[in-house]
Amino acid sequence: MPSYSARQRKSTIVMALCLMATLIGVVWLFLILFSLLINGLPGLSLATFTEMTPPPGSHAGGLLNAIYGSVVMTIFGVGIGAPIGVLAGTYLAEYGRHSKVTPVIRFINDILLSAPSIIIGLFIYGAVVVPMRSFSAVAGSIALAVIVIPVVVRTTEDMLLLVPNTLREAASALGLPRSYVIRKVTYRAARAGLITGILLAVARVGGETAPLLFTVLSNQFWSANLLKPMANLPVTINNFINNPDANWKHLAWTGALLITVAVLSLNISARFFGASKDGQ
Amino acid sequence: MSDHTVRAYDDELMEIGRKITEMGGIAETMLSHAIQSLVKGDTELAQRVIATDPKLDALEREIEEKAVLTIARRQPMAIDLRALVSAIRIASDLERIGDLAKNVGKRVVAIDGQFAPQKIVGGVIHISDLALDRLHRVLDAYAHRDVEGAMSVWKEDEEIDQLYNSLFRELLTYMMEDPRNIGFCAHLLFSAKNIERIGDHATNIAETIKYLVTGESMTTDRPRAADGYTPLSTP
Amino acid sequence: MLEKITVKDLKFYYGANLALKGINIPLYANKVTAFIGPSGCGKSTLLRVLNRMYDLYPGQHAEGQILFDGRNILEPGEDLNLLRSRIGMVFQKPTPFPMTIYDNIAFGLKLYENLSKSELDGRVEDALKRAALWTEVKDKLGANGLSLSGGQQQRLCIARTVAIKPEVILFDEPCSALDPISTAKIEELIDELKHEYTIAIVTHNMQQAARVSEHTAFMYLGELVEFDETSKIFTSPRDQRTQDYITGRFG
Repeated sequence: MPSYSARQRKSTIVMALCLMATLIGVVWLFLILFSLLINGLPGLSLATFTEMTPPPGSHAGGLLNAIYGSVVMTIFGVGIGAPIGVLAGTYLAEYGRHSKVTPVIRFINDILLSAPSIIIGLFIYGAVVVPMRSFSAVAGSIALAVIVIPVVVRTTEDMLLLVPNTLREAASALGLPRSYVIRKVTYRAARAGLITGILLAVARVGGETAPLLFTVLSNQFWSANLLKPMANLPVTINNFINNPDANWKHLAWTGALLITVAVLSLNISARFFGASKDGQ
Repeated sequence: MSDHTVRAYDDELMEIGRKITEMGGIAETMLSHAIQSLVKGDTELAQRVIATDPKLDALEREIEEKAVLTIARRQPMAIDLRALVSAIRIASDLERIGDLAKNVGKRVVAIDGQFAPQKIVGGVIHISDLALDRLHRVLDAYAHRDVEGAMSVWKEDEEIDQLYNSLFRELLTYMMEDPRNIGFCAHLLFSAKNIERIGDHATNIAETIKYLVTGESMTTDRPRAADGYTPLSTP
Repeated sequence: MLEKITVKDLKFYYGANLALKGINIPLYANKVTAFIGPSGCGKSTLLRVLNRMYDLYPGQHAEGQILFDGRNILEPGEDLNLLRSRIGMVFQKPTPFPMTIYDNIAFGLKLYENLSKSELDGRVEDALKRAALWTEVKDKLGANGLSLSGGQQQRLCIARTVAIKPEVILFDEPCSALDPISTAKIEELIDELKHEYTIAIVTHNMQQAARVSEHTAFMYLGELVEFDETSKIFTSPRDQRTQDYITGRFG
């Protein structure tokens, strides 16, 4: 039997090790944020939001077309993916809860959830870009939607399953039809969770590069045509950072900072929504 | 009957049952001593009967308090509820029996040494024996939760009533015969009345036993002879 | 006494597991019938068969007859939503919907009846009054139903049930999560409600069953052991098992 002080010493050592492991994990996030701020902040100006991506060798220019493209494709991607995801998640949690197909669907969805996004990009390339004979914003949006769907399916199902059954029974006991119960009671009870899930999906696709690389390519110029290649932040960053041009490098850092801030704030607001669920 | 999940509950009910038995024993002794003292004119024994009564009163209060506490604490149902209600009722009957025996004792002290013709006392002895027998049997029936035993006591009460009525007339005759007998006979008459009422309490207990065991109250009236107060014919 | 609901030889299965073994029992109109028994005896199950709540789950089925105003509601093709609007249910845990107090009540009504705003207001007020909650919430109808206390939430659930004008109300341990004062209010309410509705209540609290009901059924292991007037059950039950259960001598 070790003495009390020996046990205490052991406890202190283990605690210190745990703390160090945590610090090592967290420190990278701060290092990334720090380097982003150091490198990205100097390039951030009004011009970033008002001017187009410049040709190589110039000193001016911004990221307007890339920001626009990212926002548009994220909106379309989530706009297509989220409703499908919510409906599928609803099926799994509500109608299909006791069905034998449900675990199968859930399993497949989980695979899709963890599928490398580059594979999804390649798939859409084959399925959309090749038949259309052009890279396009539409193809990019579809690729993003395919990424959104499993995320939203999973969160929707999880959140709906968290809604206590007694609430469903109570609504059904009033003689309300199933669909009405789901729309008016279950969704409402799970609303915070559902929104959180969609926000997380937005954050996830906002920074995706790989699927866009094969579907929209990018565009040096302004384009609002959804059927043509469109500029977007991730691919622009990817292109600019690999170029020796100093101005492009700066813009790439600024773009990276913008995406990180956007994703971070989405995550934080998702957290906020999730937390406010208890307080409502 | 199996035990309660809460053992303390069983203990409380058993404790109350034991106290009732104790009261029954004391009441029986008081009655028999009171009668003995009356028959023998033993004032010392009568004093002892009188001195015992507070003990019975205390026991009654104790049973009542314990029963009320158990009701408040356990919210008894069915047989337990009936057992507690019965305990309160029987304790009250026994306490009254004690009072009546004490009253007989007091009269023995009051009569103190006056001439007691055996033939007059004879009737009182007879009614006393009956009452004592009823009380004994009804307490037995309570101890064994014996409805039939209790009902046989209940049915026989009429006998005591009739005996009292004839005793009443007999004592009246004595009083009219010789006015000097009036004081003595009046005490005797009241004693007989007390003993008759002890019989009534015994039948009350019998009724309570029936309720305790079956949950049914007595619906029919007890068979009883016309009340002891036969109108006196005007001389 | 009019039998509002008559249960005839009801058997109920959870999968292959027989949970109710041939129950026969009447629910008298405008009376309160209490169901008591140890956990797992089937009393809640019986309640959930009466409004066919079990239909929400696969693998559960009932055999026998439940005559509701003489019509067997176990027949296939029964309109369950209509049935449940006629046989309301209040649950163990208060289950206010995540919406305002007003909407909690109006919500079901809107689906069933085409009411004008003022008619709807009237019905909501009426329901809250019947549930003895009106004075407590009349100034905060727009507040979230979840902001109420447990007892108030439960009365809100009763108001919600009453609002759609059922004929029978089933209470499944409605007070088990409430404090004594809230419990007393619910009991008072049940006493009021029985003038207009037929009521069945499942409770673990025997004193409660004794207080609120006219008839009591004691169930054990999926069987109806004894059904009688409440006064009989709690003073002199006929069956030894009933006696042992209500006096706390079980097992």
